[in-house]
Amino acid sequence: MTSIQSACVRKVKQKKVAIDTQVPEFKTDEMIINLGPQHPSTHGVLRLILTLDGEVVKHTECVIGHLHRAQEWQGQNRTWFQYQALIDRVDYLSGMFTSWALCAAAEKIDGAVVPERAEYLRVLVAELNRISSHLLWLGTYLIDLGALYGFPFYPFIEREKILTFFEEVAGQRMMYNYIRIGGVQRDPKASWFKKVEEFTKQFAQRIDEYEAIVTENPIFLKRTKDVGILNKEVAMAYGVTGPTLRASGVAYDLRRFKPYSVYPKLEFTVPVYNKHGDTWDRYMARVQEMRESNEIIKQVLDMLPEGEIMTKKQNAGLRVKAGEGFAAVESPRGVLGCYIISNGSDKAYRFKWRNPSFSNLSVLPPLLENRPLSDIMAIFGSLDIIIPDVDR
Amino acid sequence: MSEEVNKPAEQAAEATVPLTEGVYGKLLKENGIASTPLPESIGIETLAVQASALPAAMKFLREKAKLNFLVAVSGVDSPDTFDSVYHLWSFSKLDELVVKVRVPKSSLPADKLPEVPSLSNYWQTADWHERETYDLIGIRYIGHRYLRRILNPWDWEGHPLRRDYKQPVDALNDKHPVSMR
Repeated sequence: MTSIQSACVRKVKQKKVAIDTQVPEFKTDEMIINLGPQHPSTHGVLRLILTLDGEVVKHTECVIGHLHRAQEWQGQNRTWFQYQALIDRVDYLSGMFTSWALCAAAEKIDGAVVPERAEYLRVLVAELNRISSHLLWLGTYLIDLGALYGFPFYPFIEREKILTFFEEVAGQRMMYNYIRIGGVQRDPKASWFKKVEEFTKQFAQRIDEYEAIVTENPIFLKRTKDVGILNKEVAMAYGVTGPTLRASGVAYDLRRFKPYSVYPKLEFTVPVYNKHGDTWDRYMARVQEMRESNEIIKQVLDMLPEGEIMTKKQNAGLRVKAGEGFAAVESPRGVLGCYIISNGSDKAYRFKWRNPSFSNLSVLPPLLENRPLSDIMAIFGSLDIIIPDVDR
Repeated sequence: MSEEVNKPAEQAAEATVPLTEGVYGKLLKENGIASTPLPESIGIETLAVQASALPAAMKFLREKAKLNFLVAVSGVDSPDTFDSVYHLWSFSKLDELVVKVRVPKSSLPADKLPEVPSLSNYWQTADWHERETYDLIGIRYIGHRYLRRILNPWDWEGHPLRRDYKQPVDALNDKHPVSMR
């Protein structure tokens, strides 16, 4: 650990020197460089065209679309039954939420009432999914910052357990197709709930361990404190949502603000962190959110009612009534919305996805302005962007 | 909701039920902005404004009516019109509103894109969403500083989410012209 620390301290010192020498006594030419599309820190394929003055970023253009898979086009050319199996590939770290948004919109149009047990199961798997998504973010963010050894794969131990739960209940580790229009696909066994309960009991202690290593770590603080400050007004104008918005001081969480499903019956807080809105606050926002999710899971396990899990057995000729509607859920990255126009046939007339990563990424150019090159990945990583979620 | 199969529901309903103005329709009227009520989309007020009145209406709704969260800008290739749909929410209250700008297809000359004023200089969220709508549906947003394709490659031809779009046959190295329709 000491060798890493000294290496990182050296890096920080070097960075300081580089910034300090940017005195405007002699004129330098601006340089345009490409970052990506293939870059280990972009979590996918993202190209940034950077205009640099020395080491300072003057202008950024994001070039997205390298992972465009025409999900909306596929939606209007496939039946409902086919499409609901396809759509959780959009955001592969939190597939439950994408399915949920689709089902919520379709059920609203259809006027379907989902059985209560199914709603509780949805909340249960969604919150587990939120934790697993944040755990992956925590590990990879530390890699982005240069801490390559030891810690980054530590959160993966817990994430692995959650993926095993999903494998048991949905048959898949990542693309679940578990939440279906009208309910959920399978009722887990009693032993499954016991395992989840045991997981929740020891998970709070795990977060304490992560925090002991990361939160007050001097190198981490140097890389993240006062870096990439996102003002409330800017965040709202750009439509930024999720933990990124809440770290800027806006208590906007759909689960509390526009409650859906059984969230009104559950007790949890939506913490608004330090109102500063820097990279470290966004880190804390996610860590706190994992604690809250853990509490929600405990409550759901206590409150879970008996009953049906599906209104009607699904068949391949599944249809949704004619109409149009927009529904959104709070995904780990923010407001994930689905706008559907249905004409009553077995295919939808139009699908439009409102993906949180898309809007959250659009705020990157103003955040990077006048920051040194070495801060790019600290800022970009803290937004928690999933590129397939941006490109669809 | 209507049971019509071939048309989107709103148009069938329009003919039968006379629509009344909602809260925000009245509010806009009082401030001198004309709007036409449309059938509600699952209980949420929906209205249409003229393309020329859109910037004024959005400015009013964002600043005075406090609908300050533009969730999404969507394009829809409806049977008779090209729609630019704005979903408005608020960070401080629960109200929602759907605003549509409808450009009739009959008034459009062939190979000319429908035109709608851009909000991107006023509302930063609209920037990328309008680029996406331009890319996929082909609505030209007048006044957008950088209206360039965003999801497809910059030199892509056509607008893939139009109903009459033909996919390039060899897009997936497919020799059979109808297999990937």
